[in-house]
Amino acid sequence: MRVTICIGSACHLKGSREIIQQMQELVKEHHVEDKVDLNGAFCSGNCVNGVCVTVDGTLHSLKPEDTREFFDKEILGRL
Amino acid sequence: MGVTVDVAYKSLNKFSEILCGDKVELLQTQDSNIMILADGMGSGVKANILATLTSKILGTMFLNGATLEECVETIVQTLPICQVRQVAYATFSILQVFHNGDAYLVEFDNPSCIFIRGGRLVPIPQNIREVEGKKINEYRFKVQKGDALILMSDGTIHAGVGQLLNFGWLWDDIARYAVKQYGLTVSAMRLAASICQACDELYQYRPGDDTTVACMRIINAKPVHLMTGPAQDATRDDEMVRSFMSGEDTTKRIVCGGTSATIVSRVLDRRLDVSMDYVDPDIPPIAYMDGIELVTEGVLTLNRVVQLLRRYVKNETVSEDFFLELDKPNGASMVAKMLIEDCTELHLYVGKAINSAYQNPGLPFDLGIRQNLVEQLKHVVEDMGKPVTVTYY
Repeated sequence: MRVTICIGSACHLKGSREIIQQMQELVKEHHVEDKVDLNGAFCSGNCVNGVCVTVDGTLHSLKPEDTREFFDKEILGRL
Repeated sequence: MGVTVDVAYKSLNKFSEILCGDKVELLQTQDSNIMILADGMGSGVKANILATLTSKILGTMFLNGATLEECVETIVQTLPICQVRQVAYATFSILQVFHNGDAYLVEFDNPSCIFIRGGRLVPIPQNIREVEGKKINEYRFKVQKGDALILMSDGTIHAGVGQLLNFGWLWDDIARYAVKQYGLTVSAMRLAASICQACDELYQYRPGDDTTVACMRIINAKPVHLMTGPAQDATRDDEMVRSFMSGEDTTKRIVCGGTSATIVSRVLDRRLDVSMDYVDPDIPPIAYMDGIELVTEGVLTLNRVVQLLRRYVKNETVSEDFFLELDKPNGASMVAKMLIEDCTELHLYVGKAINSAYQNPGLPFDLGIRQNLVEQLKHVVEDMGKPVTVTYY
């Protein structure tokens, strides 16, 4: 599964760094390194909302505090 | 092919003085680069005024084609006379390098210029002429690529005198040290800063005299192309990218901006790999693309770049700490380092499109300031003595 997190200017200011950090920890915690491929990306064209996170081509908007919930539902839930 | 130079200088103020009694002028004419170092008698305000007057008079008159005799005569008649010593006095060195490789060195009472070619010291012959009662050494020669020429005030050779060293740091020893640093450094600034740093250490961080090292290195032209922002009219994307990619083989290219990078990637059909390494919490990670030296985020990175370059231009703040900052692997330090050390002329390709999402008052930083930043970048790079062109799309 390919997960990309936008690190463009607007997303950076909305907390991409925290989200990346949490995602990296969550992937390790659940031992799914071989199944989840985390990537950075530049602007996904949806700067108005939260941080743009794309899971297998589907665009989501995320806040740092929702990362764990999102990970459980959208990433672990789809594996 | 014409000669291109990299010039920089570094000064230490005499301990407890706010003003420096040495003054460096860096000038460009149509066909030459001029570096002037003047050292005013005494220290503090008086020395600063003497040195400033001397370097400005020399610079202005040289620019307008005056002869050496006319310059010296003007200085002698203009400088205010010291109440204590009853003389008006500032020592000076002038180095002029023409684009065709001709060089002209004039020295009056400063420590002799250190001339390094191919890792070896080249002695500067004595050819003394008396002008207005002052013994002035003149030397005409040809420069080659790779040459380094270092002008100094006498604060360098007095470093450590009576403290760590009996007779100060002897010219021969400074020259030997300079040759060693010449091999270890690439830019004029690092070379000047390394010699100054050594002086500061010999003075035990309390310089007994104003100390200045000005350095000129003869290098290949190193144009840098920097693209930032998408074109206002998206149909001009191709044209913008093509201009950005034009130029000689030695041209280095930087893209600052996520959307810009995506456009370049699409137009050139090259893969863009975005890294997730947050080496600096405030600067978004960089990305990689074949044929582009550096790909970074836009305004946040550029804002930091301008701050770094301002610190560099201010000179007093250029110390070991500054170079440590410059060597960090974050996008802004990497851009600033390339502009300082690996660039002789800058060409900016700037898109005027406005990202409507950035007009969001909820963001803690005004992202709609690209053009303002570009203007600031242009000015600060020009202050570094490098020509800048800007093309808007």
